[in-house]
Amino acid sequence: MDYIIDVKELRKEFTSHSSRSGLKGAFRDLFTRNYTIKTAVDDISLQIKKGEMVGYIGENGAGKSTTIKMLTGILTPTSGHVRVNGMNPHKDREQFVRSIGVVFGQRSQLWWDIAVQESFRLLKKVYNVPDDFYNTHMADVIETLAIEPLLDKPVRKLSLGQRMRCELAAALIHNPPLLFLDEPTIGLDVLVKLKIRELLKEINAKYGTTILLTTHDLSDIEALCERVIMLDEGKIIYDGALRQLRENWGEGKQIQFAFAEEATHTELQSLTHDHLVVWEQGSNASNWTASVENNEDIISSVIGQVVGAKKIADLKIVEITTEEIIRNIYEEGVIRNG
Amino acid sequence: MSYLSIFFQYAGQYLKTRLTYRADMLVEIFSDLLFQAVNLIFILVVFGHTSLLSGWSKDEMVFIYGFFLVPFAIFGAFFNIWDFTDRYIVKGEMDRILTRPIHSLFQIILERMELESLFGVITGLGIMFYSGRQLGLSLHWYDPFVFVVLVAGGALVYAGIFVALASIGFWSDSKTDIMPTMYNIGNYGRYPVNIYNRIIRYVLTWILPFAFVGVYPSAYFLGRDEWYGYAFFTPVIGVIFFGLSVVLWNYGVTKYRGAGN
Repeated sequence: MDYIIDVKELRKEFTSHSSRSGLKGAFRDLFTRNYTIKTAVDDISLQIKKGEMVGYIGENGAGKSTTIKMLTGILTPTSGHVRVNGMNPHKDREQFVRSIGVVFGQRSQLWWDIAVQESFRLLKKVYNVPDDFYNTHMADVIETLAIEPLLDKPVRKLSLGQRMRCELAAALIHNPPLLFLDEPTIGLDVLVKLKIRELLKEINAKYGTTILLTTHDLSDIEALCERVIMLDEGKIIYDGALRQLRENWGEGKQIQFAFAEEATHTELQSLTHDHLVVWEQGSNASNWTASVENNEDIISSVIGQVVGAKKIADLKIVEITTEEIIRNIYEEGVIRNG
Repeated sequence: MSYLSIFFQYAGQYLKTRLTYRADMLVEIFSDLLFQAVNLIFILVVFGHTSLLSGWSKDEMVFIYGFFLVPFAIFGAFFNIWDFTDRYIVKGEMDRILTRPIHSLFQIILERMELESLFGVITGLGIMFYSGRQLGLSLHWYDPFVFVVLVAGGALVYAGIFVALASIGFWSDSKTDIMPTMYNIGNYGRYPVNIYNRIIRYVLTWILPFAFVGVYPSAYFLGRDEWYGYAFFTPVIGVIFFGLSVVLWNYGVTKYRGAGN
């Protein structure tokens, strides 16, 4: 089987020395140092096929960025096997990076002082992109991202949203078969996010571009990725379909009640004792949330029982969000039949 | 060669940006000239008190300084890596460099070039022609070619030393004062090495070979045949030191830890 990304038992350790306290400690540090080894990525294995869009998620410090940096050839792994686009990223770095595009949300690929299109032209030269391909391909990218009016402005005069769109365009100049996006939508407003997602979908459909995406914003992943890989403390704790994650974890629904008067937990519990309902208090004693199984009969019956006994100011039925699912997983730390 | 065409692309872009900030550029050229003038005045003041220094005359000293300015200007124009650790390692800009398909050191040269430093070449040539005429030096047809080779060797010596120092940043990103110190040591190369004691002379020849940037190659043009061996050794030392520094750099890149870890 041919994989675009093929990683086996990839590991990255960082050694750092911890300094002792006080002047005496500082003096001792001069001669012997306490080294601590921190494992940022702990023997992970993963395979990604051509054309997949994969969400790579995890809390801060879970090892997402370190993995991406090893896959893009920036960092040398401590041990393990990495094959990306059929190459060893850190060994054949210069050859390899021609076949990938990278967007780091917090770091600009563009030149600060020069106009956006000049930056594009330099990158075109760097990647040695032929003129006719550049013209047709970039015209398309520029149109989808609506950055035409920004092209003659220097990057430092752009807003964050404008800059990010230009960054993405810059990463696509050489039309890489594999795209790494690290927090591409951080701090962006909804409209810009939508434009970026639209373009990603389009290039995925048009060129079969494989996309690996890390983000804090799960709506990006819901909109784009069928598969998610979840990382915790350097280990993969879930690798599979987003749909399955939702099915396993998000089977229930929540009913949010705002009562006209205060209610107590025992009172509500006794009202709905014939079903499995978990009551949680909201912001005050008249706001309560009932978590129930996703079954129309049960939902109707619970609502009926409660509404029959108490006056209602407001009522809402919500599905458990992916964000809550993920939070639950991190809190419990295990995967049910993952 | 594609690196050459990328170089011209960057240089063109650089000039375009610089020309929009014309005042900045003029100030920089002016301050460079001022710095060179101060150094020249220092030499003249010293020779106000003596006519010979370990067998070198004032005009010869001035000539050596003039020569030194040329490789130093070329180094200054392309190897602005004194703040490499801060700018690229601590701030993590190296991440971006490493995702582009050009050798990382070459990219940094391209990004950090300061072409206005090349003005030093003109000053240096001016000083050499002036003191050369005072000394009654004559030029052979092949001298310009020898000059180019020796200048390249001298610039490579400088570049090699500073690239090697910058490479330390891959292992340790703590602040050190080693870069400014090294700039100071570099200045010793523009005076004749035989005015120093033996240890310093040895260091400036074989360990931090700054003598190959100024006095040794100048000796060729001054007709000081006792130094010819060293003079012709200049390009060899340049290539060796620069080559070693690139090896060290390449090894350092594999030790790069990235920012924020």
